[in-house]
Amino acid sequence: MADTNVKAAPVQEKEPLFQFGKKERKLLSDPLNDNNPITVQVLGICSALAVTSLVYPSVVMSIAVIFVCGFSSLFTSLLRNYIPKQVRMIVQLVIIASLVTVVELTLKYLNYPIYKQLSVYIGLIITNCIVMGRLEAFAMANKPWRSFLDGIGNGLGYGAILIIVGIVREIFGKGSLFAGSPIEMKLIGPTAEYFINTETSTLFGWYANNNLMVLPAAAMFIIGIMIWIQRSFNKKLVDIS
Amino acid sequence: MNSTNYILGFILAMTAIVAIMLTGLREVTKAGAERNEAIFNKRAILMSVENYLGGKTVKQLSDDEVENIFQNQVEQVVLDVQGQELELESIQAEDIEMGKERKKADEDRKWPLFIFNEESTGDKFYILSVRGNGLWDEIWGNIALKSDLETVAGAAFDHTGETPGLGAEIKDNASFRKQFQGKKINDEGGEFTAVIVRKNGARNDRNEVDGISGATVTCDGVTDMLKEGIQYYQPYLNKLRQGSEIQGALIK
Amino acid sequence: MGEFFNIFIKAAFVENLVLAYFLGMCSYLAVSKTVKTAFGLGLAVIFVLGITMPINWLIHEYLLSETGVFGLDLTFLRLILFIAVIASMVQLVEMVVEKFSPALYNALGIFLPLITVNCAILGGSLFMVSREYNFSESIAFGLGGGFGWFLAIIAIAAIREKIRYSNVPPALRGLGMAFILTGLMGIAFMSLLGIDPAAFQ
Repeated sequence: MADTNVKAAPVQEKEPLFQFGKKERKLLSDPLNDNNPITVQVLGICSALAVTSLVYPSVVMSIAVIFVCGFSSLFTSLLRNYIPKQVRMIVQLVIIASLVTVVELTLKYLNYPIYKQLSVYIGLIITNCIVMGRLEAFAMANKPWRSFLDGIGNGLGYGAILIIVGIVREIFGKGSLFAGSPIEMKLIGPTAEYFINTETSTLFGWYANNNLMVLPAAAMFIIGIMIWIQRSFNKKLVDIS
Repeated sequence: MNSTNYILGFILAMTAIVAIMLTGLREVTKAGAERNEAIFNKRAILMSVENYLGGKTVKQLSDDEVENIFQNQVEQVVLDVQGQELELESIQAEDIEMGKERKKADEDRKWPLFIFNEESTGDKFYILSVRGNGLWDEIWGNIALKSDLETVAGAAFDHTGETPGLGAEIKDNASFRKQFQGKKINDEGGEFTAVIVRKNGARNDRNEVDGISGATVTCDGVTDMLKEGIQYYQPYLNKLRQGSEIQGALIK
Repeated sequence: MGEFFNIFIKAAFVENLVLAYFLGMCSYLAVSKTVKTAFGLGLAVIFVLGITMPINWLIHEYLLSETGVFGLDLTFLRLILFIAVIASMVQLVEMVVEKFSPALYNALGIFLPLITVNCAILGGSLFMVSREYNFSESIAFGLGGGFGWFLAIIAIAAIREKIRYSNVPPALRGLGMAFILTGLMGIAFMSLLGIDPAAFQ
């Protein structure tokens, strides 16, 4: 797994079970920029990116990752003093795998078409290194509430990237936003009968869809450029090696 | 805490708890999930006769309406390779998984056929299921023939992993689908051709439709799928054709 | 045989696990700084994919599906079972290799634990189920997928070794450049899409 530049937070002995102070807020906000799981920690650039050619599946995927990340941290942290060291990887994997199964079953029950669309990628959340990485780096050594927040925060940071990549790819690749969802809209490109929703007028009728954007490679370029931008502003992240 | 017994006990207890909880959740959601799946498949079948659903699009139909239509207006037939109707107690046409059937030898395969009766006119539509390969993965669809068994009433396609904006347009793009309406599956001489998806535009009005630019492989896949898929139904369709000829002769 | 070869080629190049599906990106980016380590990890992936794929196929077919020994549809448990098989197979492979081939163990050893959380392994098994491959096809897919992963990581490692001497903008150095290179490689691999599968039959 990639190097994680995580400062393990000091464990305080006497703290209320649920508090939401500055430190807790930092647990949530840090992963959004300074310690973003994708662009800084280099964890979890996995398969979830494969669904980012459209925004709607990216949003559903993000929610699933946030859920799994938060609750697996919570459960691991609750169990952390009872998990035998030798088998902790397996135990963590079982916790994650069951949560992912919960997501899968729920999605099948609530929204079958999107379940069909995401298909194997839901299952692949299990091996998303971000989940496992946070369990190892944080939840195994911290109290439940803080671990839960850390999990949610990392899920959010991860989801934010997924959605940004999804928005860029869908607008330029397909000219629409949220295709496939109830609030589908066509933004740019020909109003042509090429898309289902022909009623909405569009802004730039002359725009021809950029087919590169729908290829997997486009996600790579977009993340590469995002890292470039982020590091230009945030010099301390620059890779000196 | 590091004894083997503790580790084994921990693993076993955890496995048991997890398995019980997941099985519980599965039992609770099972009925709903299965209904969702059935409705999803039924909607896909109705897509091919979308123009004849009494003014509503498939999207606008509620789940109950979909089930009603299937109960009252759709007959389900299961065919074998010779075009014989199979009398099966356990399986209905909608239960046939084309993906699995496609891997079997022709003699063991079953084909689903849906006969849709339009409510107002009583016209019959024959909905055939076809399946083939796209660019990345499998593509499939349903194509509805009018009662002359030659004119296409409509078609709808779906796919596992075609590229959004390119190959995926076979599903997303309403106008690609609409092109199929009114096409014939035979050429002027009565020779079977199926409907051809032509790169750079259809060459004739009778049995060709325009391809999607940038998605040549998927479009060729649709052509091959239709040709191969409809061919399998020919024995059954021929019987129907002969039947109606005899009937026509009798009336004269 | 044609079908076997066809699936192998498709899995290795066109549907490359890393470049087309982003599977196993974490270790792909983390362990691709030098060709030597990339080579070791790549071999380990081929090895483990080639072994776990048929095993998971057997488990899915004979334990989980309705036609299996229990006669129940247990496919909802496949995620847990697959990951357990992968984790234990990796452990087993590690022990066997250590015992019988210390040389190989020295080359692969440190990479084996990394593989449990390599999405490519679990992803391969899940794709195998959703594409309804049969037993021999699943072997072809496992080996092909592993080979494709191996090729991709070797290629990126070689490029990254050389690019160290280039004048890349500081903010793009390292990770950012690796992403863009991966994208370019993905496009290059896509060009094999034009191969007619009929040529192999």
